[in-house]
Amino acid sequence: MTTTHTHALLLRSNDFGESDRILHLLTPETGRVTVIAKGARRSVKRFGGNLDFFNHLRIQIEQRRPTSMARLELAKLERTFHGLREHPGRFALGCYVLEALDRLAPEGGARVERERLFHFGLAALDWIDGGTPDRRMRVLLELRTLDAVGLRPELARCVRCASALGPADGPLVPFRVGDGGPVCAACRSPEDQGLPIHLGTLRALQSSLGFELSALARIGLSGNALGEAEGLLRRFLRFHVGLELRSEAFLTQLTLREPEGKLRPPEARP
Amino acid sequence: MKTAPPIERLVANLKRLPGIGEKSATRLAFFLLSSPERLVTELADAMVRVKSEIVLCEHCFDLTDVSPCPICRDDRRDAKLLCVVEEPADRAAIERSGDWPGRYHVLGGALSPIDGVGPEDLRITELEGRVRTDGVKEVLLATNPNAEGDATAHYLGDRLRATGVRLTRIGYGMPMGGDLEYADHVTVGRSLQNRRELD
Repeated sequence: MTTTHTHALLLRSNDFGESDRILHLLTPETGRVTVIAKGARRSVKRFGGNLDFFNHLRIQIEQRRPTSMARLELAKLERTFHGLREHPGRFALGCYVLEALDRLAPEGGARVERERLFHFGLAALDWIDGGTPDRRMRVLLELRTLDAVGLRPELARCVRCASALGPADGPLVPFRVGDGGPVCAACRSPEDQGLPIHLGTLRALQSSLGFELSALARIGLSGNALGEAEGLLRRFLRFHVGLELRSEAFLTQLTLREPEGKLRPPEARP
Repeated sequence: MKTAPPIERLVANLKRLPGIGEKSATRLAFFLLSSPERLVTELADAMVRVKSEIVLCEHCFDLTDVSPCPICRDDRRDAKLLCVVEEPADRAAIERSGDWPGRYHVLGGALSPIDGVGPEDLRITELEGRVRTDGVKEVLLATNPNAEGDATAHYLGDRLRATGVRLTRIGYGMPMGGDLEYADHVTVGRSLQNRRELD
């Protein structure tokens, strides 16, 4: 029997049988992992209300046989991201990020990558917790999620010849979603029907990758550039997920009404 | 020896019920087989009738055999107080406390974007209609105190705020008979935030 002590974020939860739950967790130790929490629905003594979304947990999982599903034995609450429970827009964006991680995060992988992905999950929830979820925040989170799971689109170089894009390639560059990036003027052929994107939009997205999530409020992305970035990332995400994320419809209902532009501090609730 | 096909069929059907495995289904099948015919007929009749006679109340959407349900028809209940719950079982739990003098509205679930459940899948439009037309003064948002229930309560709050109705949320804190030593820090924190004067 192998016992693992680690940290975790809940990505998805399904009821199983009369009293159990199957949990899909993201951990720095194992990456994305599926465990069974015996008695989680029947007894509140063992796990309390800890097995909930937007909770940073410290957990103990036991693998009795290599072929059986690991069992969750302990889940202590480390931190809860309250803001996501108390603001529908933040809740929708948090669910969207968790669902994207659940669909795209690999099981296993190199330790450094697993840790990076887990810390991205925490940082993303922290950023949403303290901000107002508008279209810009959604776009930047989509890009950072793709980056965290190793599916970052190429934004600065031609996907065919790897040369850096310059003014001679623009102002509009065809972006080939299937190939994962833009095509420069020299490599372009008349049959290249990529998504037309302004060079400035690609540069804004590229520069956002160099910032900590908490500092992304400094990135200027609005108007046409925001619309272009939305179209690009949504097509890119759908191409790689294979279908629309279930949480997208609710998120779109809420964020479409939000004004674009700089992040505002969270409004005070009575 | 092979079991008789009618028994096999009964076992197979009982196994479809939640929490019933092969052994329990077999035990139940043999119990029914050895029971008086009256008991079996009553059981079968009760199962058929629950499907044909139970409907949703046209006002509160709780399960009932007559619509409007007894609570919505009861003039002694305060129609100006409305308690919003996720499921009929939640309504029953609050009703068991005997402390809610008003009426109910059953949403039919909570917002759960990851499972594809959005506002259009819940009875939110009907709730807004009741608040606007029934002279409701207070809406108690009694969705479950988990992430989805909390988010649903805040979403409903945003939608109902324009009506001017008083919006309240069920209290958070230590359960009766609980032990502070074993409570998580969020529950303890909420208990402190929601502390009250000693009666």
